[in-house]
Amino acid sequence: MPSLIGFYSLALGSSLSFLIIFFSIKNFRNSKIFDSRIIFFSFLQLLLVSISFLGLIISFINSDFSNETVFNHSHTTKPLFYKISGTWGNHEGSLLLWLLVLTLFIFLFIIKSQRQPTQYRILTLLFQQVIIVGFFVFLLKSSSPFNYIFPIPQEGLGLNPILQDPALAIHPPILYLGYVGSSIIFSSALSATCLNYISKEWASHIKQWVLISWIFLTLGILLGSIWAYYELGWGGFWFWDPVENVSLMPWLALTTLVHCILALEKRSILTSWVVVLSISTFTLSMCGTFLVRSGILNSVHTFANDPERGLFILIFLFSLIFLSLFVFFFFHKENRKIDSSIFLISKETSIIINNWFMMYFLSVILIGTVYPIFLEVISSEKISVGPPFYNKLIAPFLIPFMFVMALGPKLKWIKSDIKNKIYLFIFFLISLLLSILIIKNLEINFLLNTLLVSLAFYLFFLTLRDFFVMKYKNLSQTIAHFGFSLFILSILFNNIFTTEIITNLKVGETYTSQKFNIKFENLNQKQGQNFKSIVGKFTIVNSKGKIETLEPELRIYNQPNITTSEADIRTNLLSDRFITMNTVQNKDYFNIRYQIKPFMIWIWLSILLIATGGFLSLFKKKYEN
Amino acid sequence: MYGRKVKLRFFFIVLILTILALSIYLVLKSLEENVVYFQSPSEIKNIAEFKETKIRIGGMVKKDSVSINMNEINFIITDFKNEINVIYSGAVPNLFEEGKGVVAEGFLKDRNFFMASKILAKHDENYMPPEVKAALEEK
Amino acid sequence: MKIKSVPLIVSLLFITFFIIFFKGLKNSNIYVPNINYEKEIPSFTTQFFDTNIKINSDEIFKEDYYYLINIWSSWCLPCREEHRFLMELNNENNLKIIGFNYKDNIKDAKKFLDELKNPYSKIFLDKDGLIAIEWGAYGVPESFLIYNKKIIKKVIGPLNTNFVDEIKRLIK
Repeated sequence: MPSLIGFYSLALGSSLSFLIIFFSIKNFRNSKIFDSRIIFFSFLQLLLVSISFLGLIISFINSDFSNETVFNHSHTTKPLFYKISGTWGNHEGSLLLWLLVLTLFIFLFIIKSQRQPTQYRILTLLFQQVIIVGFFVFLLKSSSPFNYIFPIPQEGLGLNPILQDPALAIHPPILYLGYVGSSIIFSSALSATCLNYISKEWASHIKQWVLISWIFLTLGILLGSIWAYYELGWGGFWFWDPVENVSLMPWLALTTLVHCILALEKRSILTSWVVVLSISTFTLSMCGTFLVRSGILNSVHTFANDPERGLFILIFLFSLIFLSLFVFFFFHKENRKIDSSIFLISKETSIIINNWFMMYFLSVILIGTVYPIFLEVISSEKISVGPPFYNKLIAPFLIPFMFVMALGPKLKWIKSDIKNKIYLFIFFLISLLLSILIIKNLEINFLLNTLLVSLAFYLFFLTLRDFFVMKYKNLSQTIAHFGFSLFILSILFNNIFTTEIITNLKVGETYTSQKFNIKFENLNQKQGQNFKSIVGKFTIVNSKGKIETLEPELRIYNQPNITTSEADIRTNLLSDRFITMNTVQNKDYFNIRYQIKPFMIWIWLSILLIATGGFLSLFKKKYEN
Repeated sequence: MYGRKVKLRFFFIVLILTILALSIYLVLKSLEENVVYFQSPSEIKNIAEFKETKIRIGGMVKKDSVSINMNEINFIITDFKNEINVIYSGAVPNLFEEGKGVVAEGFLKDRNFFMASKILAKHDENYMPPEVKAALEEK
Repeated sequence: MKIKSVPLIVSLLFITFFIIFFKGLKNSNIYVPNINYEKEIPSFTTQFFDTNIKINSDEIFKEDYYYLINIWSSWCLPCREEHRFLMELNNENNLKIIGFNYKDNIKDAKKFLDELKNPYSKIFLDKDGLIAIEWGAYGVPESFLIYNKKIIKKVIGPLNTNFVDEIKRLIK
């Protein structure tokens, strides 16, 4: 029943799109005031899509297996929390969630933009409706979440156990808020271009949306990484896998946009650049959806794939791209009246330089991600592009990037010079010495690592100093940049100082090395709600005689019958101790992976700091006055 | 004054073009170096020369071929036509099992031995790596 | 002139992208039917679905007779979808359908057959999935058409009308 209601309200919601488009076009022609009927219909559409989504959630909670989506992804013994999160843990449900957020955001946009010109608001709504209609068609035609199956099965197929995890349960909604937020930026940029409204006023109004989507995207990626870290059992959090890359690309574009929009707001420069970035952020998000959902990519994160669905997203994606190209090339005019001269030493220059770096990082990731597809089509050679490619091409360029990032905020808009800035030099010397001391005795690439660490320290110290000197001025930017330096530092130290032991042990055996002994004490069984688990007990004695007990788990889920290994992680401020165990083909031996990973928690905290910076920036007006 | 501005602009364009060319060169070069090719056991039997590059081998883990001791795991990857022995001393993913698809990354020692440095995990038990599927279909 | 060439180049670039992606999409089909003519069937030992009697594969297949081996499971949704095609093929006189119940719970499997009717003349157990490996199966569902103890047709993934027609043609 709930899924029937869900289906009909979805269908009804789609027909409202035509009403909205009709009234919007009518309103656009003689636009003195914004037609309140449009607001009402938008609200109604939001309401109907919400009901539809709610219907799906209820079907999941009741384990209504007459619904195909529920049958495919749920099971009666699954805990309630994962029944609910199962709603968006699959292709159909996640698309419905996309649609829900799309309608929610455009409604909020209309309400929040009352001070903007009426024509601009209507045109934005129209562009957004194009996207919404696309999603409606896709949902109703090829991926309806409300398909009925008969005869009704007794039991569902269950959710892949690896997805039964709190971090991954909230990861998709958060990420989608970011993706869909970028759709508002896309529509608004297109409509502002059509009406020649790319201006300071537009920038300060759209800035909020840019920041909000940026925050959600950041948090979404963070959650995904945390999940990968403890659930996949590799002890890493970023594998440069194509599926991860496609979420990073819109993030990079959006981060660039966050900075450019400031330049536009302050100085009316970089107008074309801002439009291009607004368009590419959303197309990259859509492109990500296409690459992930169509199965065109070969990734460790596999999703069910269906070429027909892929084709739809592909056509939709390129229609949007060509629409925006058309708008951009035919309507966009550089405003020549405004003084757009840029001096070499100024805040603008530093922003532009780092834009170029960001675009470089973005292209590296884009090439690494799509190159295998190109090669396979052209020469049917199968390849994959691994982490060394990305590390090699990105790490060295972080050095000048962080340098500009450290100095940029010290410069002023329009024209600036470097006087009385001896402290900048002293700080640099200190960071350099410090990092030489740290890196000196290690067997790693000395030059690259020293420079990377010292520049990260440089940024770290300079932003730290800003907390005391600048007080509340520009607090958001200081926090975000401070977070970034902390992030790079933690990653570097994490990479450099990680210790890893991989060995195969039987119960009772001990692995001995110079640094520590690992003893496999015993095995216990435990019963969970929808899984059995085998818990291994390991005592680790390090050279100082400190004893620690770790208990990794193997979970055998009932439906579907899949084994997952749950890492046991002990965290403190200095390091994480991480252990996983795995069976090998019912042999007596267990495959053990033990890692000591320094500063792990700081990686997560620093990303949170970066997001906090963005969050504070939302309230920036209050700080400056 | 005007001349200086033109000069500056010219300098800028040259700079940007050089940087662009340089970065394209860099990207392509490291793409060439860091790409990992995928091969099936049968393809390995037929290759003419050995290169010191990392490759991926995909196929099925042969039944009853897994043996394990404290330091390493040995098993055979088969495409039901040819086989290759794999020596591996790293962490195994959950879904590593006899009779299941597997993708191993590492270096070839000779036509029969492969030193794996990584075994790739997949999230889904019934998932067949597309490369493996393609390789199996070719036979 | 310069201004007009930029949109042209950019559009061409994106069109290329589109074509490449479009072609790439065709490569990624998970189910590709594979014609695997004249391959000997493997030999194996198995047991009946509802009794515990063991049986060798040589006793199952007679010569000069068509068999359709179907690997299925109650937890597999495509199996549910292809079931009506099996029922349809069950009406063919010179074809016997033999089911291999793959990694399944017998209770669920019986419930599945009670719900959807039983098209199989015989059902054997493949509790640990080993027989499926002997057959070189990729997963469930998968079907093999057998004649004179040889595989003459292999269908990876669920059956559909095209395959059913082809099978009907082959056994004429």
